[in-house]
Parts: sequence; C-alpha cells; structure tokens
Amino acid sequence: MQECFCLDGKIALIAGYFDRVTEVIALALAEAGADIALAPANEVALQEVAGKIKIFKHRFLITPINIADHQGVRSYVKRTISELGGIDILVNSSRLQFAKPFLEISEEEWHKVIDANLNGAFRYSKVVGEQMLKQKRGRIINLISALSERGLSNCAALCTSLGGVHQLTQALAIEWARYGIRVNAIAPGWLSTEVSSIEKPMEEALLKYIPMGRCGQPEELGALAVLLASDSCDYITGQTFLVDGGISIRP
Amino acid sequence: MFEKFSLEGKVAVVTGGGTGIGKAIALNMAKVGANIVVAARRLTPLEETKAEIEDIGRNAMAIQTDVTNSEQVNNLMEETASEFGRLDILVNSAGAIKEFFNISLLEMTDEQWRRGLDSELTGTFYCSRAAGKLLMKQHSGKIINMSSLSGMVGLTTTAVYGVAKAGIIELTKLFAMALARHGVQVNCIAGGPILTPTIGGQKESMSMGRFIPVGYPDKPEGIAALAVYLASEASSYVTGATYIIDGGIMAGRYAPLGYAPYIPMK
Repeated sequence: MQECFCLDGKIALIAGYFDRVTEVIALALAEAGADIALAPANEVALQEVAGKIKIFKHRFLITPINIADHQGVRSYVKRTISELGGIDILVNSSRLQFAKPFLEISEEEWHKVIDANLNGAFRYSKVVGEQMLKQKRGRIINLISALSERGLSNCAALCTSLGGVHQLTQALAIEWARYGIRVNAIAPGWLSTEVSSIEKPMEEALLKYIPMGRCGQPEELGALAVLLASDSCDYITGQTFLVDGGISIRP
Repeated sequence: MFEKFSLEGKVAVVTGGGTGIGKAIALNMAKVGANIVVAARRLTPLEETKAEIEDIGRNAMAIQTDVTNSEQVNNLMEETASEFGRLDILVNSAGAIKEFFNISLLEMTDEQWRRGLDSELTGTFYCSRAAGKLLMKQHSGKIINMSSLSGMVGLTTTAVYGVAKAGIIELTKLFAMALARHGVQVNCIAGGPILTPTIGGQKESMSMGRFIPVGYPDKPEGIAALAVYLASEASSYVTGATYIIDGGIMAGRYAPLGYAPYIPMK
C-alpha cells in the first residue's frame, strides 16, 4: 500500500513565497522520493534548507526567482525542465502573510499580495502546465489557507488573493482533467508558527475557539501533500483540503 | 514519511466490509498494518474478506451485524474490544443498498423512505455513538464516514440515499464537535461515481464517463488511499471535514463536458 504514496522518480518544483509550511512540504516530497527544485520568491536561508533536503539524496536545486518577473519565471522553468527532464509536481506556495485594516492598505501593498499569492500561481501554472500537458501527467498543489474560503477582519487582501487561488484550483482542474493533470489545494487553519505573532489574549481566545484545542503544526501538512502528489490522487481534483482542527465546523 | 500512513497495531471496524468500497478499505488498512473487524448483514462475503486479510498477515474477525439494530451494533463494538483489547478506527461503510436507488421521488412509499433513511443514515449514527463512547475513554480514535455527491446535489433518482448522505456530512460535524476535546477525530469521504458490484460494469463505466471531467468513474481502491490517510497519523489535524474524491465533478458542478466558451478581450 505504501507504494501508492511513493514519489520515486518524480520531479517536484516548489515555487513562490516560502515559509515553514513550504519547507515542510518540500521535505515531505523529498522524503517520499521526489527530486526537488525550489524557487523561493522571498529571502530564505538557502544553505539551511539545502542542508535539510540533501539528506534524502535525490536531485536538488535551489534558485531564488523574482515571482513578479514573468519572463524570468518562464526561462527559469524551461531551464529546470531541461536540466531535470520534466516536472511531475508543481507546488505553488501562496504563503505571503499580510493583515491590516482595509482602509490602511495601500495600492502597492494590495498589488504585492495579489501578485505574490495569486499571480505567482498563475505564472508558474502556465509554464509548468504546458509541460504537464505534453507529458499528459501532472500534479499541481496550491498551498493556501482556510482564508481562501472565509473572511477575517484585516485580512481582505489575503482572503482575496487566496480565494483567487481556490478558484484557480477549480478552474484548472476542470480544464485539464482529461489530460491526466490533477489540481488541488491545501488550506491549513491556525498554525503555531503564525500564532506566535498574535498577542497573548487573542491567542488564548483562539485556543478556546478551535475545537481540537490547539493550533496545527506545519508538520501535519506534509503527508497530505504527498498523497496529492502521488498516483493515489488519480481521482481527486479541483478540491481544497482544509486541515484546521475543526475550526470551520464550529457553531 | 510513510510511517505517518501506518496503522501498525491499530484495530479497525469496517461496516459494509464484505463488498465494494468497505472491502477495499478493509484490505488496504490491513496492508498498512491494522487488524480488522468486518461487519455486514451477509456473512459469506465477510468470511471471504476475513480470509483475504489473514492472507495479508493481519488478524481479522467477521461479525454479522445489521447496523440498523442498535443492540447488534453495541455487541459489535463490545466483541471487538473484548477480542483485541481496543478499538482505534471505525469506518461506516455499510449502506449503498441498491433497492433504494432509482425510485422516483414522487412515487416513493413511506416504507421505502423510512427503511432507506434507516439503512443509510441511522446505521452510521448507531455505530458512531457506540464506538464514540469507547474511543472517548481511550482519548484517541478515528471515525470515517462515507458520503457521496448524491448528498450534495439534486439527484432525484437516488432520493432517500441522497438525503441520508447529506445527513452523514452533518453527522460528521456533530460527532467531530462532540469528540474534539476527547482526542477523537471524525471525518467523511464523499465519493463520486464509482463502480462496485452493487453499481455496475463496463457499459455503465463508459456512459458515466461522459459527465466526469477526468473521463471515467472511480474504483473502490481509489477511495482506500484517502481512507488510510484519514485513519492514520497523517491526518492528525483534520476533523469535521468532508473530503471529496470525484474526478472533478464538484469543481465544475456537472457543467456539460467540453463546454469551453471563448470571449476575447475587447
């Protein structure tokens, strides 16, 4: 049964705004057997990440790429395909966090959030999608959050950008279903890595509110990414998977 | 990574485990290490499944159970606990009884309505209630319910089945909330068109494929991987959720396939 989750011989490209969730997903895919190409759009500790992934002894590349530069993204992806032989799995990491009262959001800030989280997914999905259509096989996994489907004060830019990716997931899933490409999204609820930046009183209220009584750990998302990247995902497409400790069913 | 999907040392009760989806789930959970109790109304398929599980190298029991009878359900959980000393996973797969399909909504009788709800919804309630009490005491456990796209759209030919399946989605949330602080997670798998002996063969597959974005119906094994995910540590932060596995149908809401408008920018 474990063979059906195995990613031996598969090539994964993980692109976009990186955070601890992105790192966990990359490590999970590597551990399951995939070759890994990382294209962070933000500052990451390249050596540190490289050190963690190289343990799995598959092919590994890390190249910072400006997500707003569509020519740059295109030529990077083409180079990567030619160097690795193809791309089987694309992970769009739409993990730029931003929250502010709506009236205080500037034009620049709004565009930056939409560009990082939504347009990045558009750019990478286009170039990698072309390749996947040629291969007649592919898996696209969009890392968003539960804010893709519900509102939260101060989070209009995040909600809009992630909601866009939620829709992109459904639209691409339909358009490419007949060609062996599966497109899904992972939407975590509150994660411990985010809560550290919340004030104490809000954190306590949050823990009372979450049915499971705790925040999630990024490590609790890796296995789902492996499932959605694998052959087991043959019949799953167009879905956004909430991993949220029950918060969305809370009365 | 693969340890997260392991069910080594776990005990799973799978209702409807003699055939179709239930059987595929039982076998695959056994493959990742679980000991299995299969329960259903007919003993012969259960005994066959039991034998196949033992071939895989796990322990198994076959307990004839009518899930619409709460005494038999309570007995099922007690026998499981008594034989294996514990219960970790309950898969509510009993149901999908062909006699409740293809009954015109307006022609359905009172009897068909009641019996349909009983077999498709009440069974899951009785089993979850009984297992829930045991799992609460252990402060750990997983319950996996089976729903369907029929419970989300207006498929009038599967009327009472559709209502029950919609009910299962809500029941999942209710049990999830009731058990969240007790270490027990409750989730649901909603499948799309799937070919099982109950439902159809090659010709059905060809005609079904016409309205499924990926072009074909699922096989019971397709759901099994998702069931293993929901039964294992891999899904440690998931509860109250209904995960859909449907070849893309809900993502496109049954839009006519091939419908691809072209509207260039003015």
